[in-house]
Amino acid sequence: MNETPKNGNRGRDPLDAALASLPEDVAPERDLWSGIRAQIEQTPIVAPRSASPLQANWFRLAAAVLLVLATSFVTYYVTRQSMQQQIAQTPPASLPAPQVTSQPASFNFGTERLGASYVNARAELDKRFQERVASLPPATRSKVEKNLADLRRAAAEISATLAEHPSDPLLQDLLMSTYQSELQLLANVSELPTASSMRTDL
Amino acid sequence: MTTGAGTHSSALMADRSPLSDSALVAAARKGDMKAFERLYRLHSGKVMGLCLRMTRRRDVAEDCVQQTFIRAWRSLAAFEGRSAFGTWLHRIAVNEVLTHQRNHGTRAESDDEAVADAQDTPVESHRDYDAGEVMDVERALATLPPGSRHVVVLQAVYGYSHEEVADMLGIAVGTCKAQLHRGRRLLRERMGLPETADE
Repeated sequence: MNETPKNGNRGRDPLDAALASLPEDVAPERDLWSGIRAQIEQTPIVAPRSASPLQANWFRLAAAVLLVLATSFVTYYVTRQSMQQQIAQTPPASLPAPQVTSQPASFNFGTERLGASYVNARAELDKRFQERVASLPPATRSKVEKNLADLRRAAAEISATLAEHPSDPLLQDLLMSTYQSELQLLANVSELPTASSMRTDL
Repeated sequence: MTTGAGTHSSALMADRSPLSDSALVAAARKGDMKAFERLYRLHSGKVMGLCLRMTRRRDVAEDCVQQTFIRAWRSLAAFEGRSAFGTWLHRIAVNEVLTHQRNHGTRAESDDEAVADAQDTPVESHRDYDAGEVMDVERALATLPPGSRHVVVLQAVYGYSHEEVADMLGIAVGTCKAQLHRGRRLLRERMGLPETADE
């Protein structure tokens, strides 16, 4: 509040004087607190958040990474045997190698805000992804890299918007969800079985 | 519209807490409902005044005040303390009022419409008052069209800047200035005050 006729800039103007005479406080005629209390008692206690909401969400992401890795590990062992029986050698590639970037996106409200541990874990996952994706059949690789590029583009757009509206909870959730989807994709591909038994329907 | 200012002012004053807003907010963020009630007692009068002057209806204003504090409780974790708690509350309250008006058919003015309206509408065209009647400022304020009234209330009564008001209302700064100009012109006319050189 910094431009305020009320605070004296136009003190001699009768209109400003009249407006300045209005009381800012107007008491409600009924007690609204009981209704407010009834509503907020149904709301879980508000957990304090650290200065950076994204930093606080590191724990959610760490849990998500662990969950993804565990799920991928189980999936790998369950499907490994049957896949080895089913999947024939993939025909030679006729599609050009995709040019879609698979480098981590540079987020305006980005992953660095989530802390060094997260960034390191993500980088490690990304490295394994790069190694693994290089051995995928071209069609599969193309699909995977397109999906990853889509996710990173979405994250970049959301983070840019979030930079303008940093306290918007919907955007925060969207961004976290997108990061989680990205991690899940990286983890899933990293844990895929190697070349000869590879599925092509990912 | 009668604001009834001061109806419960003594009760409000009795609830003045020696704790600062930031201390109360910190406690409320940990789930301390008593601290949040203190915040309500401290700020509800001003939020009510703002909502009442924006909506012109006490029942609607009271609903907006209730929703403002409910939403504030739910969003306390997102309050980063970059602005005063009262300012943050006012932003929520303005949102509540605008949402209510959208949901109940009050036409939202786009920037272009608002500017054109502010520049072109003849003063005499507004029918919410009797021509020739000299009003007190509260009544005259209530007769303003919504766009002008919102800007005048936020700027002239609650002291927000053009930029802050534009941000709160989701309009351009130029629109805000045009609406203020229009509102002040209408107020002068309805209160029987002489025009100034800039109006």
